[in-house]
Amino acid sequence: MPRVTVAAVQAAPEFLDRAATIDKVIALAEEAASRGARLVAFPEAFVPGYPDWVWRTRPWDDTASTLYARLLEQALVAASPACDALAEAARRLGIWLSVGATERDPAGSTLYNALLHFAPDGRLAGRHRKLMPSGGERLVWGAGDGSGLTTIDTGFGRLGGLICWENYMPLARSALYAQGIDIYLAPTWDNSDVWIPTLRHIAREGRTYVIGVTACLRATDLPEDLPGRAALYGGAEDWLSRGNSAIISPAGDIIAGPLAGEEGIVCAEIDAEVARASRQQLDVVGHYSRSDMLRLTVDATARAAVTFRRDDAEPPARPSAGSAAPSREAAPVPGQPASRHAGKR
Amino acid sequence: MTTLRIAAVQASYVLMDRDAAIGQVAALTAAAAARGAQLIVFPEVFVPGTPIWIDTQPIWTGDEDWFALLAENAVVIPSPASERLAAIAAEHQVWLVVGVQEREPHGSTIYNTVLYFSPLGELAGRHRKLVPTGSERTVWGIGDGSTLQVIDTGLARIGGLICWENYMPLARFHLYAQGVQVWLAPTLASGDGWIATMRHIARENRMFVIGVNPVLHEDQVPAGFPGRDRLIPAGYTEDNGPWLEEGNSVVVAPSGTVLAGPVRQREETLIADLGLQDVAVARRHLDPVGHYNRPDIFRLQVNTSPQPAVIESGTIASTSKLNGDSDEYQTSHEHPHS
Repeated sequence: MPRVTVAAVQAAPEFLDRAATIDKVIALAEEAASRGARLVAFPEAFVPGYPDWVWRTRPWDDTASTLYARLLEQALVAASPACDALAEAARRLGIWLSVGATERDPAGSTLYNALLHFAPDGRLAGRHRKLMPSGGERLVWGAGDGSGLTTIDTGFGRLGGLICWENYMPLARSALYAQGIDIYLAPTWDNSDVWIPTLRHIAREGRTYVIGVTACLRATDLPEDLPGRAALYGGAEDWLSRGNSAIISPAGDIIAGPLAGEEGIVCAEIDAEVARASRQQLDVVGHYSRSDMLRLTVDATARAAVTFRRDDAEPPARPSAGSAAPSREAAPVPGQPASRHAGKR
Repeated sequence: MTTLRIAAVQASYVLMDRDAAIGQVAALTAAAAARGAQLIVFPEVFVPGTPIWIDTQPIWTGDEDWFALLAENAVVIPSPASERLAAIAAEHQVWLVVGVQEREPHGSTIYNTVLYFSPLGELAGRHRKLVPTGSERTVWGIGDGSTLQVIDTGLARIGGLICWENYMPLARFHLYAQGVQVWLAPTLASGDGWIATMRHIARENRMFVIGVNPVLHEDQVPAGFPGRDRLIPAGYTEDNGPWLEEGNSVVVAPSGTVLAGPVRQREETLIADLGLQDVAVARRHLDPVGHYNRPDIFRLQVNTSPQPAVIESGTIASTSKLNGDSDEYQTSHEHPHS
């Protein structure tokens, strides 16, 4: 298995501007690829920006509602021109591209905190929706199902991840360990001192590389016309997130980063064979498990609130008006049956 | 607001000398109790110490005398040794938690066990390590799910796991689900990576975590110890340093913040006052078995039955029993665990 370079991109989004943020993702992915990265990871909800206001507004005041409406409008729809642009960038650069996004179904009004994995062949190879938002996040994001708890074989290791405080869900982590995860992504907004120890613990527990990736922005990075900006945000000293991106070895050692207080690309060389060999010492889903007495069952089915049964099979839906690239439009989103799309249109 | 004063005792022992180690427990418990500690925690296999030879020599190579010493000095329950530990707890009216190498009265297998004694001198809990690590598998057997309990002390709900068991997410989850508030992690694990784990676990279940290690310098192994030159080969200390056990004891708050320690390369009893209300308050942010769980997706099944080697029965099982006529089971009983 080849040793490869992986990159965690710590950056500021173009806040609540999907198109401009995607342009920035592509430009930074190009830069990371030019430095040899075969996997480039972006922070939690990077497109179109983490809804930081949930921690600053009263839950239902007018500013919060207005900002929510803008987030809904600027959210990413899987299988849409915006999503295709990311997929095309992955294909053109020949990289695995993992991007955190606020995402919704084509006809849906509920937003999800999703981690999307684009393959070097331009496929959307994986999508995980955060299972449990934290605190104020619960007012803007729904909860995903178990269908996104997957790992993907990249050819240089099995890739997967959990989002922010999902990383404190021992059973969700176990589901990924059981699928042989070698490269564990942990996009987050958590800036606390304890976050890095958590990344190190997960690396040791799963004997996996861990890539923590965090946004970096301050109030002056927000657009002037952001509703409620003057009331909610200050100046250059008002950090929304300082960042703490880091890459950890399967032994729990920090091998790159943590980077804080500035944008940058954190790179490290990884070797999945090292992770796998280190499981001689500890394999929590193998020789260090007790399946005779501790047994976990995971419901990994995709669950729609409404399932349609029809007499006539419909052609696959066109997920988004004006989408070009018909061949990819018809492709199902990973973990989501094509029929679910069909039913919704 | 309930406050619990705890003591994490980082100490050395006389290797493979059960009575001397229990003497250490008595003296150090008295000292910690005098400082007001209500819960006093000793390291993994403190009685009678770490079977160092499993890492200093190839497996099963010239270790006969050492294993004989271990079997002789292991703690049987009940026995005068376990009763002496219970009496120490009762004398000082403290919760006393001690790691021991344990065996059945007539058994030859050694278990890595943590014993919980109440202030009344009762054995309130016993946990046998579920999976030994690497070379440990050549000296210790494995426990079963009957010893994974959280204990309500009246002051706090306490429980925990031993050393690398702390890396078993499912075992942790089972204890979290029992409402553990103060987590005890007796261990031999050294280094910063272990401290990261202690901090992570505290934050994962928003509880207090007490990591407690022994400390042992090569000079503390008695000159007359059988095969001492082979037990601690010169090359071994050149590679690993003179500390056979370096220590790493630490106390962590539910936020993941370190309250005391880590302390290394010296004996020290860490004292901390734990404000138990902090646990409930912190769990409004994160409760991995409550509002931050997804029981619709994840279902953990735990077999908490004792798993004895033999289940005795008054009659030989017949086909009628297999068909569900269970009268013949009336005379059945399981071997008690000890």
